[in-house]
Amino acid sequence: MPKLGHPIRTFTVLAAAAAALAVAVSSAGAAPARHSSTTITGAGSTFVQPLVSQWISPIGSAYGYELQYSGVGSGAGVAAITARTVDFGASDAPLTPDQFTACNGCEQIPWALGATAVLYNLPGVKNLLHMDGPTLAQIFMGQITTWNDPAIAKLNPGVSLPSSKISIAHRSDNSGTTFNFTDFLSSASPAWNSQIGKGVAVNWPVGSGGKGSSGVAALVSQTPGAIGYADIAYALHNHLSYFAMKNKSGKFATPGLRGMLSAATSDETPAADNSLSIVNPPAKYANAYPISTFTYVIVPLQSSKAPDLKKFLFWAVTKGQTYGPKLLFEPLPKSVLVVAEKAIAKIHS
Amino acid sequence: MTSLDLTDAARRPFTGRRVRFGDVSLQVVAGAAAAAVTILVGLIVWKVIEGARLSISHYGLAFVTRIAWNPVLGHEIYGAGSFLFGTAITSLFALVLAAPLAMGVALFLSELSPGWLRAPVTALVETLAAVPSVVIGLWGILVLGPALRGHIESWLHSAFGFIPFFGDPSPAGASIFTAIIVLTIMILPIVSSISRELFLGVPHDLKEGALALGTTRWEMVKGVVFPYSRGGIAAALILGLGRALGEAIAVTQVIGGGVFIHWSIFDGGDTLASKIAASYQGSSTNLQTASLVYLALILLVFSLVANISAQLIVRRVARRHGITRGGHA
Repeated sequence: MPKLGHPIRTFTVLAAAAAALAVAVSSAGAAPARHSSTTITGAGSTFVQPLVSQWISPIGSAYGYELQYSGVGSGAGVAAITARTVDFGASDAPLTPDQFTACNGCEQIPWALGATAVLYNLPGVKNLLHMDGPTLAQIFMGQITTWNDPAIAKLNPGVSLPSSKISIAHRSDNSGTTFNFTDFLSSASPAWNSQIGKGVAVNWPVGSGGKGSSGVAALVSQTPGAIGYADIAYALHNHLSYFAMKNKSGKFATPGLRGMLSAATSDETPAADNSLSIVNPPAKYANAYPISTFTYVIVPLQSSKAPDLKKFLFWAVTKGQTYGPKLLFEPLPKSVLVVAEKAIAKIHS
Repeated sequence: MTSLDLTDAARRPFTGRRVRFGDVSLQVVAGAAAAAVTILVGLIVWKVIEGARLSISHYGLAFVTRIAWNPVLGHEIYGAGSFLFGTAITSLFALVLAAPLAMGVALFLSELSPGWLRAPVTALVETLAAVPSVVIGLWGILVLGPALRGHIESWLHSAFGFIPFFGDPSPAGASIFTAIIVLTIMILPIVSSISRELFLGVPHDLKEGALALGTTRWEMVKGVVFPYSRGGIAAALILGLGRALGEAIAVTQVIGGGVFIHWSIFDGGDTLASKIAASYQGSSTNLQTASLVYLALILLVFSLVANISAQLIVRRVARRHGITRGGHA
């Protein structure tokens, strides 16, 4: 009987290890079959998926393209474009140097603008609670443990906060949302920056991990006194409470379109890899929501479908942006649009 | 036995051609299947070692015991220590909880239950085995976790809090304890179905003989059923252990994560399999990817050891059984 069991179990192990590959293969399945018609396939970020889904029908009537997108997660999207099993990948976090090397001749282009909401579950407190970066960092480092801590009380004058414990929920999988959130904490708190840092996953000192936005949301909504984070569209659709975050000008901003737009104009000169960081922008961006982020499309510079891919991407960063606001994606600001269009022009066959 | 005789017959010179053709094709097909599995396992092992090479050369064996996992660029360091601990503790506790339960279920279904109840309960137990792990995981995070935290964990903590195992309950209900209960539920049907088959296989004359000697039902079970199926039970438990060791998705959903070793089972943690499942997609550096594959390698070795020890136990018990069976009966 153990002889029967062993290979099955081995497969389970391998299945986990080969997950990215499997995803890559499955998302590629449709591409070669319909090579003659213009099908454009993509895979990656679940965050940007609602927006890309909105594009399928209009891009079909505008150019006759069949757009296929699998929301398999940013990491799997990077793996898929690295293996060239899709025409484009989508990632919420900019590629790391290792990922760029592996992708061999890829470029990333900012193509959507979103924000991360800091969630809380505090039954009985009706007010919109305020929070700032340094306090949030202390909470996520386990240094502030109760809701009526003076640091939180000071941000919320006149609100009667309970003495209950704060329980912390974070993502256990690799996530662009985690990158955005820790990028903000690193910018707002020198202690966080030196001890923990930023990334798609970090070494969380305290708290429980949930798998996916849904996992974090489940932990937060199940647990009175919990704090977590998720992208704003997810938070809104699931009716979760989130903080108004203090920006550098001292204003408390909610993760809405106005806050994103104000933050988005703060980084006008992208790095050589086209990555832009707009967390915690300077005080002159008075309405900025400080945990905003660009999300990226990753394309090979050389593609057999170059003309179609370029047309599609141009459409996505211009006309496609108009589908954003009702899903809480703020259209790209002009300065970023220029960057994106320059990058798209570099694609060749 | 029978199949062996047939093969011998087939090898005799004057047998008809059709029989020979059938035998040859059977041999080819079966042999090819066996070879394919062997080659597949070999390829898997080779690929895993290949994939882990960067991490192996970087960290060596120190990786296995180091308690660290920091994927942040510039702070990168990896080790399997806390995941090995998490794997060992969740699997062993789950086994300890599942074993008596499974024995109870199996005994009930094979010896005690009224006839009309047997078929439906058996079907239900087997349905439990067919529930996808992601569904059990969802139930674990939405229903079981909060229920355990609200009732069982707080009670255990207040009653037995002086034992370090039962520390302060994690407020979110995602903990090693939740993972243990989820794993218990997942391995219970495997162990109980196999044990039920074993108990049903105990010869009737032995059972009836014992009862005729005036034993109670429990004495009959203790004196005849258990000794007769001891080797099989051990194998069933090891199979269950294997399932617990390798289960990834459901555990990832409920265990809460964290790179530390706590005495309290009410805190979060991670197992080898759950860490791989949570982190492989979107792994951002080559070293991290290699380290995750290194975890897979450790898990493979773990499973191999579990399997080999299962076979050794079965063989040893079977041999002793052969000598002493007369005594038990």
